[in-house]
Amino acid sequence: MGINPTAGQIFKALLEGFWVNLEVFAVTLALAIPLGFIISFGSMSKFRPLRCWDKSDSQILRIISKFAPIKLVTRTFVWIIRGTPLMLQLFVVYYGPGLLFQTPFRSPMTAVLIAFVINYAAYFSEIFRGGIEGISKGQYEACQVLGMTKSQTFFKVVLMQVVKRTIPPMSNEIITLVKDTSLARVVSGVTEILHGAYNYTRMGLIWPLFSTGLFFLAFNGILTLLFGYIEKKLDYYKG
Amino acid sequence: MKRILALILATLMVTCLFAGCSKEDNSDDLKYVKDKGTMVVGITLFAPMNYKDANGDLIGFETEFAKAVCEKLGVKAEFKEINWDSKEVDLSSKNIDCIWNGMTITEERKANMSISVPYMKNKQVMVVKKENAEKYAQSVEGAKISAEAGSAGEDLANTDEFLKKGEYLSADSMATALTNVHAGNADVAVVDYVTSIGSIGEGTDFADLVVVAGKEFSPEEYGIAFRKGSNMTEEVNKIIAELMADGTMDKIAAKYKLTEQLIKG
Repeated sequence: MGINPTAGQIFKALLEGFWVNLEVFAVTLALAIPLGFIISFGSMSKFRPLRCWDKSDSQILRIISKFAPIKLVTRTFVWIIRGTPLMLQLFVVYYGPGLLFQTPFRSPMTAVLIAFVINYAAYFSEIFRGGIEGISKGQYEACQVLGMTKSQTFFKVVLMQVVKRTIPPMSNEIITLVKDTSLARVVSGVTEILHGAYNYTRMGLIWPLFSTGLFFLAFNGILTLLFGYIEKKLDYYKG
Repeated sequence: MKRILALILATLMVTCLFAGCSKEDNSDDLKYVKDKGTMVVGITLFAPMNYKDANGDLIGFETEFAKAVCEKLGVKAEFKEINWDSKEVDLSSKNIDCIWNGMTITEERKANMSISVPYMKNKQVMVVKKENAEKYAQSVEGAKISAEAGSAGEDLANTDEFLKKGEYLSADSMATALTNVHAGNADVAVVDYVTSIGSIGEGTDFADLVVVAGKEFSPEEYGIAFRKGSNMTEEVNKIIAELMADGTMDKIAAKYKLTEQLIKG
């Protein structure tokens, strides 16, 4: 970069920055979806180690019998992650290990990816939970009558319906994710697109900052078309 | 046609105004300031030079220094926040009477303004964890070096023969660069000595950080700027010498941990 970079050079630098955003986006999406499913199973867990007290005469014991540890853990987790700013979570993940356990992250990108995956998995898990719980009881009973096992029921009957139902809320979250990737710059050394644009503002150039919007807009445009296409494809069945 | 004529006339008038300004005689600036009884001090807010305490009162090394000088001059100090980029215009248009804000003395500024004797030195330094001080004084090979994006420290981290052996990690502020070292995400922060000295060591969250002794980069000196050709400079230089001699400056500097940075006589 010279003293006065040309528009072409600036766009090239911004594009390089946007590549970092896309990396964060792709990795987060790929890892947060499976993790989100696992968390959603936790939130729906009916595991109650003290259920033997269900019919106890003592009211206190009956209340204790409702204790469901897995559900409690995952719901608390979701509450914390959804209840605090992503920016703060980025700081906690990046600085926490160094400050608390003297084992600092040496790779800023790893810290960013961990924070994003955890954050988005929490949101996704609630969407999946809604999708799974929305499947009517009758379908499970029908599967049982047909002699299907629990895993067969889930993978062959439930899963595809969940995918179809959760496309609209998921596309919302995914588009938000694209824009949230710009928060990664609060971790030192992550040179995403806005980080690059702010460098130009220090040189007295403001337009690169505003033009970053074009990159997000273009990418989200592609995603919107893609989701529209998927929704149409999955429209063969009205349930 | 009328409009164009008006525009040309207006331009001419403004040009005359500026020309008038630049030719104005500042040789008796001292009388001008003494007559109105106040010296308008142009500042920007930054610790530890000029900043606001918990009550919103202006404090800082330069604030107290300026007040002490004004007291000797027999005028009141009035502080006015300025836009750093247009400080020269504020000064020549008499919006302010001086720039007193940890201003680095440069050849360019010397040519455009009348600058006092240097009273404080500044430098860029390496801040590291106490236990690593000796190691990184020798070499920073393989170390991660953090500095604020766009700062003199960033420049040094990428260009200085000694510092560029490390791996650079860009931070969005001086505080972030220090946090990176404190948390272990980086090993060395390259920061401005005067602005950072107040935020590290005893009584701060960065108590484990120290400045590497004997490693200084881009030394510079601070001065007060007056209007070009002003006779204030001479008078203020005399007062600075008095304040240095009678210990007032030591007292103010000690309060802001800047004793070692004073330039005496």
